[in-house]
Amino acid sequence: MTVAIEVRGLSVERGGRTVLRGVDLELRAGEALALVGPNAAGKSTLLRALVGLLPAAQGEVRVEGRPIGGWSRAAVARRVALVAAEDDAPPRLAVADRVALGRYPHRGPLRRFTPADRAAVDRALRRAEVEHLARRPLGTLSAGERQLALLARGLAQEPAVLLLDEPASHLDIRHQLHLFRVLDEVRRGGVAVLAVVHDLPRAASWATRMAVLDGGTIAAQGDPIAVLESEAASRAFGVGIQSVAVGEGRERLWRFGERA
Amino acid sequence: MTETRRRRLAFLALGALLPLELLVAASLGSVPLPALGVVRSLLAGLGLGTSPLGETGEVILWSVRLPRVLLAALVGGGLALVGAALQSLFRNPLADAGLLGVGPGAALGAVLAVSFGWAHERFLALTLAAGVGAFAALLLIYALAHLGGRPSLQGLLLTGLAVGALAAAATAVLLVAIEEQRVRAVLFWLAGGLEGRGWEHAAIAGTFVLGGGAALGLLARPLDVLSLGEEEAAALSLPVHATRLAVFGLCALIAGPVTAVAGAVPFVGLVAPHALRPLVGPVSRHLLPASFLAGAALVVLADLAARSFGVHVELPLGSVTAFVGAPYFLIALRTQEGRG
Repeated sequence: MTVAIEVRGLSVERGGRTVLRGVDLELRAGEALALVGPNAAGKSTLLRALVGLLPAAQGEVRVEGRPIGGWSRAAVARRVALVAAEDDAPPRLAVADRVALGRYPHRGPLRRFTPADRAAVDRALRRAEVEHLARRPLGTLSAGERQLALLARGLAQEPAVLLLDEPASHLDIRHQLHLFRVLDEVRRGGVAVLAVVHDLPRAASWATRMAVLDGGTIAAQGDPIAVLESEAASRAFGVGIQSVAVGEGRERLWRFGERA
Repeated sequence: MTETRRRRLAFLALGALLPLELLVAASLGSVPLPALGVVRSLLAGLGLGTSPLGETGEVILWSVRLPRVLLAALVGGGLALVGAALQSLFRNPLADAGLLGVGPGAALGAVLAVSFGWAHERFLALTLAAGVGAFAALLLIYALAHLGGRPSLQGLLLTGLAVGALAAAATAVLLVAIEEQRVRAVLFWLAGGLEGRGWEHAAIAGTFVLGGGAALGLLARPLDVLSLGEEEAAALSLPVHATRLAVFGLCALIAGPVTAVAGAVPFVGLVAPHALRPLVGPVSRHLLPASFLAGAALVVLADLAARSFGVHVELPLGSVTAFVGAPYFLIALRTQEGRG
């Protein structure tokens, strides 16, 4: 599996404060990495640095092996897509038009909308399962539908790396299941998916790998179940974490309690 | 009705309405001209046939009516374009040219021209002084806002408010100090109007409105990306700061000369895009041209009303657009609060 994106010794400062310190992380095609950590651990900052929105104070981000600064901004956006936690687009904007703006890194300000663009938008609508909402204005959608429309915009970029910041935070359980199933299909399609996830059992069952970010550094990474049961994860969240297997697969029952 | 069909109908209606209005506005006035005669005179101007209008009619049409109705269309179209663009830029359906600080700057320039007597001595002096005032205010706003690094949109707005207040204060001081008969000239300008405007004014407005409008059209897609929010726009590789600067600058380039030529014409930039958004959607490729057409139609009609309903003197154009725009605006606010 090729390394789609990696960070080496990355430190990032925001407002004079060091938010990330010496972070090492890599993400391969077809991988699903759950980034977990307590509030203010630097998860969103890491996502923004990965897409080049925040500069590195030290270390570097490499996209397909090349430093991110060596790519044009459009070239980065054709390879790395960021899907935010909330959609803040104009409420009258139709879903399909919103998703079509995901083609901006491919089209720039003036290039026409080609059949290839049309195909990418249709595919994105289909994969996010929002085809039936294509002509609906965003303002008429439920929070869950809007989140899926936002995901479709990310997919329309046809990225090699898909970064999501708490994509399920506003979703009810049905939409959560739906979203993570879609993300799993995207991953199987060869995309490297990295999601910040607050729901730890969900993160453990969905991800192929997990990284715990604590105080701006990676405290643990590897197999999701092993990572979540590690002392490092327990220390990061300040809770005791245990699990028992349910049935034969990787499904587990998780128990969180205050640390003694 | 499907979205595309609704949009096509809206464009068709606007495309038919505007020429019709221009024709009616060119025909009606203190000396009415036959509409057919106006059409034939226009064709004669293009070298097709001969005009049936007499010498007086020709002079009225070509020297008075035509420049005025075309100027009205340019002023309305320009203000509506600026409104639509700024609403995307500020992600707020209530933004319009008034936010640029252009108005108070232009007013100060106009009052200066009158108080120094330039306006009486030189042709177009008032217009030019208003234009200089508008641009000086803009430059000052942008320079002040950038003192502490790249300003937020909010910082830019608040700086605009403060500079606008300063310009308004200076205007008030000058107004009090000016001789009484000159105050009238300023008041007429401040109230907004197209009385006595000729081809020179139409040429000034046309250059900036059409040139600036074409350039804004090239930024239609970046404007849409910008309307998604700063972070998403940047993640989609849009150079956010440069794009904002370009849109802001182009809006000023349109609004400055329009204000200098026509004075204050409020609400057009708010009403036209607001009314069109439900019909053609918020995508700039459609909204910008539709707003231009609607704004043009609105002001041609308002100017016709201004010169038709006044007794002895014309009604100020700015008052007419406010009489129509403010109630529309209040109703729209109540019925669709919070919906962009």
